[in-house]
Amino acid sequence: MWKSVAYKEWLKIRWFFILSTIFGVLAVGYIFLKVQYDFKFNDPNNYWYVLLFMKVKYFSILKFVPLIIGFAVSVTQYFPETVDKRIKLTFHLPINENKILLIMMLFGTACLLASSTLLTLIFYVLSTIYFPVDIIIPALISITPWLLSGFAIYYLVAFIILEPMWKYRLFYLVFASAIFPIFLESSIAGGFAPVNMSLAVLVIGLSISLLFSGYRFRKGEQ
Amino acid sequence: MGNNAIECNNLTHYYGNKMVYENLNIHVKEGSILGLLGKNGTGKTTTINILNGFLQPRNGECLIYGENSQHLTPATKARIGFLIEGHIQYAFMNIHQIEKFYSGFYKRWDKEPYWELMSKLKVGKNQKISTMSCGQRSQVALGLILAQDPDLLILDDFSAGLDPGYRRLFIDYLREYAKTKRKTIFTTSHIIQDMERLIDDVLIMDYNRVLAQRNVHEFMRDFKQFYFEVEAPAINLSNEEFVANFEKIHNKIEIYTYESEKFVKGYLKKKGIAHTNFKKIEMGLEDAFIGLTGKY
Amino acid sequence: MVKLSRYFLVVIAVIGFAIVIPKFYWMAFEKPIRSPFIMWSCIDNDFMITRSGDGLKRTSRNLEKIGETLTREEYEQKLPFLYVRQLLMNGTMPDSINGVDIDTHDISQRRTTFRVRPKEIHSPLPTLYPLFESQSRRANLEMPKDFFRITWRMEFIDAESNKINEEKSRMFSAVLYKRGFKFPAKSINGLPTTRKSCDEGYLVIDSKDQLFHVKMIEAKPFVEKVKIPNGLKFKFIKCVDFNTKLFYAYLFSTDNHLYILTQYDYELIKFPIENINPELNEIKIYGDLFNFNIISVGVGFLKSDILDRDYKLVDQYSETWEVIDEQIEGKVAKFLFPAEIKMTNKKSDFIKFNVETNKPFNWLILSSILAIIHFIILKRGKDKLTKHVIDLGIIALTGIFGFIAVNIFPNKFYD
Repeated sequence: MWKSVAYKEWLKIRWFFILSTIFGVLAVGYIFLKVQYDFKFNDPNNYWYVLLFMKVKYFSILKFVPLIIGFAVSVTQYFPETVDKRIKLTFHLPINENKILLIMMLFGTACLLASSTLLTLIFYVLSTIYFPVDIIIPALISITPWLLSGFAIYYLVAFIILEPMWKYRLFYLVFASAIFPIFLESSIAGGFAPVNMSLAVLVIGLSISLLFSGYRFRKGEQ
Repeated sequence: MGNNAIECNNLTHYYGNKMVYENLNIHVKEGSILGLLGKNGTGKTTTINILNGFLQPRNGECLIYGENSQHLTPATKARIGFLIEGHIQYAFMNIHQIEKFYSGFYKRWDKEPYWELMSKLKVGKNQKISTMSCGQRSQVALGLILAQDPDLLILDDFSAGLDPGYRRLFIDYLREYAKTKRKTIFTTSHIIQDMERLIDDVLIMDYNRVLAQRNVHEFMRDFKQFYFEVEAPAINLSNEEFVANFEKIHNKIEIYTYESEKFVKGYLKKKGIAHTNFKKIEMGLEDAFIGLTGKY
Repeated sequence: MVKLSRYFLVVIAVIGFAIVIPKFYWMAFEKPIRSPFIMWSCIDNDFMITRSGDGLKRTSRNLEKIGETLTREEYEQKLPFLYVRQLLMNGTMPDSINGVDIDTHDISQRRTTFRVRPKEIHSPLPTLYPLFESQSRRANLEMPKDFFRITWRMEFIDAESNKINEEKSRMFSAVLYKRGFKFPAKSINGLPTTRKSCDEGYLVIDSKDQLFHVKMIEAKPFVEKVKIPNGLKFKFIKCVDFNTKLFYAYLFSTDNHLYILTQYDYELIKFPIENINPELNEIKIYGDLFNFNIISVGVGFLKSDILDRDYKLVDQYSETWEVIDEQIEGKVAKFLFPAEIKMTNKKSDFIKFNVETNKPFNWLILSSILAIIHFIILKRGKDKLTKHVIDLGIIALTGIFGFIAVNIFPNKFYD
């Protein structure tokens, strides 16, 4: 049963998921292509100095990468369910309706977790070639809200897509635009240290929001 | 025998202030095939949605195998095969993928009938369902339901978009399947042609009310059309109690009624309505449906 | 679980709206508040005040009492150390002030300016610093090839190889250890830039709040433990590079006093003034031939303490002005919003949920009205009120934010 759901979800998202993750890997690759270039043409000590004291972030192009992946996965996973109200088929499967939505959500989450882990791992390993932990740790702190934004947009888009009424979709969009920008607040490296845990809790709170719009769909709100 | 697969009691629903129906009662016996017929907008899909728990009725409830359709257990859902209007399926899959997907959910999954149907289709191995014709898609959807081996089939407007050949194929296959395996079928349709080949009982809905709910053969036997021509075209019988429907073009009159030929003739005689060419017209189900619901 | 998901959504929406709605409100209605500019005149021994707003108004403490203002020229003549070049150009520079002959070169040598803002303290500080060669015999400082951190020892990491320079690390760590340094460092304070006149290394506080001066002289460690009074702790140290070469740094203690640390003899001098808190207020320190002027600017207030060159208090000035909360816009905000959440803060580089709850509870009026409106809407819908008790409570507590949140996620459940 779990396998069947995962199979269907995978069929929907695979290409966009793989492509957007490859795009993410390329973005990480580009960061270090640039770093090694700067190491060659600027002295490494000057480059370190700029990162430490001039508030420059060598990883800033990563900002929107998790967002793109999360958005791509969410749209490809949930949009096909709403075409011709196909999600009726899903709800008719012999599983509790909330449970199947949760399984779908967990599958998407697992995919995002996989791509986030992959990107972070590559980023970390390549960083250790050029930089000491004193530079890497603030970088990871700054990347965390961006990674979380990928999950947040995934949950929000799922939530909005499954809502059956356009009026409420619009309301949810307003809600999303009130809460989402906090993940992308600009700050210097390490600036998100006090808030990352709270943001993670917030994302967990958002994770089950698709149950709400899914319920409204099932109850024939229109 | 005698148990109801579906039992809807005092079903009432509104969209906003617009009433769909009030206090509708439907009973479908196990092993029988019920056709819910009605024109567009009379609440066929509403009923199907309530049956499947996709719509909360304002009042009343539907029980499927004794369970409220709003809270069906997975075990009961496994006993119901559901065909969505337009033969909607996961169109991003091909016929192999979709079989693999569904087989994971049903204990009684039997892929034989599915592949038997698929073998008749001329579709490519990796062809996505979205690229198939409407008829082909209907066969995929039907095949999946057959493989599921449900006890109750709920088919929403299965005939829409099918050409006559496919429709006939679908109906014959379904009737044979249901009768040999003692399945219950609840189906809606707004195309009435060929339906009498399939259904045992008929439920005809009009706006806000039920016009007939009975065995289809009894209905066909009892519901009659009489034709005659009158001399005084000003006559209007539509308010008479025995007249289900009254159509008139110039002096040519059609009367639809459950009463006998003798009764109608006696009535005309009693009222002194002069007429000629009185005859009983033989009707198919579609004629009877139109006769009952009117052309508008 | 579906109901739970709705309450999660409502709570998150309340947070979101508590960020966004007040933000838009202030964007529309906030008015700039300009604090006055205060300088000490050694000519008049009076505070010179510049006020902007409806045109520029130059005056002084004494003149303002009688409602008089100064022309630009008059004003500039009162501040000869600030407008040296202008006075020289006008030929109005006095030959002597307070009996001291004026040498313009001397003036600029003695003039110091210093500023620190709360944001510098509330910031993710680096843990790696460059240790310059203090006696390189070169005219310009050069960026070292390695950077140091002080954790369980003092470590130098070479940037080229990203590897620890073991030999140098051991050498510096050993000297620190011998001088009684307790690892790790709590704070490392210096001027990590090549654009300074010379290098004086770093002032480092160890884990036992002891103060050390660490620098590198001819590739060898130089470590000096600074004697500080028992119990004195510093919350912030900022090194300076003044021409006078009189002291290494301004040091701000946790009990809100200001110190300087003199060069060579490491004397810690306490300024006889109170409430100097760079964590909350912007601190500006101007020094010249005769005086120190220590200015604290905070929300709605300013104070200026004047010290002479012997660090004796000469004069004090303070004033307050209307803060945003006292303006009509601020009062309206207190009626509209139970709280405001800001992710950023003018006094911090950190992102966090800065929650400011509004007191007094004026907002309860609007919250109650909204709760009643919601109640009436529910009554009309003939819905059971017991299902909406929590919603009404949320509106009563969170006002306009909760009202919107509760209504964009319809509380429509069938049992």
